[in-house]
Amino acid sequence: MHQALWQSVLGEIELTVSHATFTTWFKNTELIDQNESEIIISVPNIFAKKQFEVKFDDQIRNVLAKNGVNAKEVTYTINTSNKHARLNRETTLSNNTNANNSTVDELLQSNNKPSTTTRLVTSGNLNPRYTFDNFIVGSSNDLAYTASQAVAANPGVKYNPLYLYGGVGLGKTHLMQAIGNEIIKKDPKIRVIYISSETFVSEFLDYIRFKKKGFSEKYRNVDVLIIDDMQFIAGKEKTQEEFFHTFNHLHQNNKQIIISSDKPPKSIPTLTERLRSRFEMGMTIDIQMPDFETRCAILNIKASLSGITLKQDTIEYLATNIKTNIRELEGALNQLLAYAEMRGIEPDISTAEGLLGNIHHSRPQHISSKQIIDRTAKHFQIELSELCGSKRDKHIVVPRQIAMYLLRSELHLSFPKIANELGRKDHTTAIHSIEKIEKAIKLDYIIREQVASIREKLYA
Amino acid sequence: MELTVTQENLNRAISAVGRVASTKTQLPILSNILLRTDGNRLLVAATNLEIATTQYIGAKIAKPGAITIPAKLMSEFISNLPKQSVELKVINDNLHIKCGTYSSIINGFIADDFPELPTINESSSIQYSIKVEDFKQAISQTIITTSNDTTRPVLTGVYWNSFQGQLYLAATDGYRLSERRLVETKSEISAIIPTQTLQEVLRNISDESSEIDILFDDTQVRFRINDAEIISRLIGGNFPNYRQLIPASSETTAVLNKADFIRITKISGLFARESGGSITLTTNKETSVLSIHSIASQLGENTSEASAKITNIGQITLNSRYLSEALSVIDSDEIEFSFSGKIAPCILKSTKPDTEYFHIIMPLKS
Repeated sequence: MHQALWQSVLGEIELTVSHATFTTWFKNTELIDQNESEIIISVPNIFAKKQFEVKFDDQIRNVLAKNGVNAKEVTYTINTSNKHARLNRETTLSNNTNANNSTVDELLQSNNKPSTTTRLVTSGNLNPRYTFDNFIVGSSNDLAYTASQAVAANPGVKYNPLYLYGGVGLGKTHLMQAIGNEIIKKDPKIRVIYISSETFVSEFLDYIRFKKKGFSEKYRNVDVLIIDDMQFIAGKEKTQEEFFHTFNHLHQNNKQIIISSDKPPKSIPTLTERLRSRFEMGMTIDIQMPDFETRCAILNIKASLSGITLKQDTIEYLATNIKTNIRELEGALNQLLAYAEMRGIEPDISTAEGLLGNIHHSRPQHISSKQIIDRTAKHFQIELSELCGSKRDKHIVVPRQIAMYLLRSELHLSFPKIANELGRKDHTTAIHSIEKIEKAIKLDYIIREQVASIREKLYA
Repeated sequence: MELTVTQENLNRAISAVGRVASTKTQLPILSNILLRTDGNRLLVAATNLEIATTQYIGAKIAKPGAITIPAKLMSEFISNLPKQSVELKVINDNLHIKCGTYSSIINGFIADDFPELPTINESSSIQYSIKVEDFKQAISQTIITTSNDTTRPVLTGVYWNSFQGQLYLAATDGYRLSERRLVETKSEISAIIPTQTLQEVLRNISDESSEIDILFDDTQVRFRINDAEIISRLIGGNFPNYRQLIPASSETTAVLNKADFIRITKISGLFARESGGSITLTTNKETSVLSIHSIASQLGENTSEASAKITNIGQITLNSRYLSEALSVIDSDEIEFSFSGKIAPCILKSTKPDTEYFHIIMPLKS
């Protein structure tokens, strides 16, 4: 009620004064009390108080009157316990120029233990919704999951830095936030910061532009630093340098660093060498597209979270048709549930077909065997004639096998047909090749990545 | 507005307030200074919305009025004028300045847009009058241990607090702590003054100042030195309860000459640059020697000794910079240095009985 009134007052005043004036004086003001004779407005400092009393008082009274509030007295008080400051005070410790210097804080804390139990929990930008409990583990992400749990159990000890990479919507952010949440749950005093590298870059630019100080302290005073979407730092040299120093500082002091990106460090072209080698010195794990069973499990859990149990065939239909990422999978599920609810019908397979068929089902039909072969040849930069030829050099054999694998996995062609497409007579060659790649995908991340990237381009 | 002032007075006032006028601000008028007639004086003021400084200078006023003008240009222009009388005249929001053979017009802003300067109600606030020497010493002794970490605002200032009828100043950056007893007080007070404000006050102290008047209310503080006034916000929040950190007793105490102590600290500090300033102090009771040892793995190592009165053997590792800064502000020829083992804080003070200042440093974990 107070807030709404003050909002409309501010809205009106904003139109009449300059932008700079408005942000300087009216930001952080609040209407804190209102009764018949008096209105109390809180302002951030003594300068604002004086300014309001002398310069803005008439204007505020006028606008209040327009909003139907006629107050005899308008009082301005200074908001001494600034919320923002208080939170910061609790969440960060002092500037650490000497990592191994004991601090007065530690002593204070050990001296008055009983009173520190009411400390505020650090937020660190974490979303409490992301936890390990609601992360669905399958063969495609179990390594990442286990490593993340190990990091959460002993931050800074094992796997530092932890570098997670994979395509969009595969759960990198979820895992990273789960680590942060888990650490805070165990020990609220640990300082965790979660930011995207984009925020890091823009904050850094701000600090440079306004010649502010304290940028390095902000990130060097944490116990766990989580940076999402690291690839955005690529090409920004000055920021990379700043990050490099932050990284070193944290790493030397055994503080945990967790990084995510869409590519492994090697494949980010404009990442400086020294950052790349540092990213690789901890644990680098990729998160793959979940397999069919995992996709089904995800759909089951998400549906039950909305209080709906889907039939197995509907789940399987969705899981079969949406392979690229989990976000899309969730989107399709939500779409289906919403549509069914709106129409008052069962969210069954026929509804799903009707709804999603035109979007997803048609996709594989756009892809021809020729496209797959072309793409593969292009990806490995070899001639089409070589790929379909008879040469058996290693740099041609592997792409040929991958092409066969893709023909099988994407188009479900028969083995003789696959062999024929690539100029082979014997279908056992195709069987052998496909088996080989299936095995290699599980063991060799290079192959896995190549397959994923060709597949991505096919559907792009 | 139309008036005449001397160049010396105007220059002193403008250069004093000009430092506060900030260029890094959203509100352009804050990079201006305010000139306003006040009875038969000229008020010169600037503010950055954390601090406001005001200087009053005597002037021959022909016509009252006010104007604001860009601080940087004005102060550079005035400081280059000859030491003669300066005529200031406002015509259409522009300031016409004439001094000897120089004349210029500076485009101004109307004074109405300038933020109102905060005022303090003298009757309802706590007041102190402090000798300038004491004030200067107390501030320089405590300001070195304030923090510049803006994420913990309460540590970025000096904490003025009353305790058992005395006014104390205290500051800590988390690694060291200093406390200075200043004057007797009958009022209860607890206020944190920003470091920048105190630095600004120190700059405004001139040779002819003898007393400084300080006025506190709940949210602001005002300093008055001669014709200058500085009003600043106070930092909100609670200062840590630092008194519980003061060691009640110590296992080891060394008493030694301050000059000796400073010299051996400085020398051993040369070999501690690689290790983040880490130096190890050892007391030897039998030989009555305090020795400092530091190692630079690439360059070599150093052991420096000074003779001292020692009560017990002991060892502690400290940051050499913190130690030499502490020694440089203790006003005494002899220093009492006490500690208890390697992890408890050490305390440095003068050997004078009932000394008003002490300095605590947390040891480095070695």
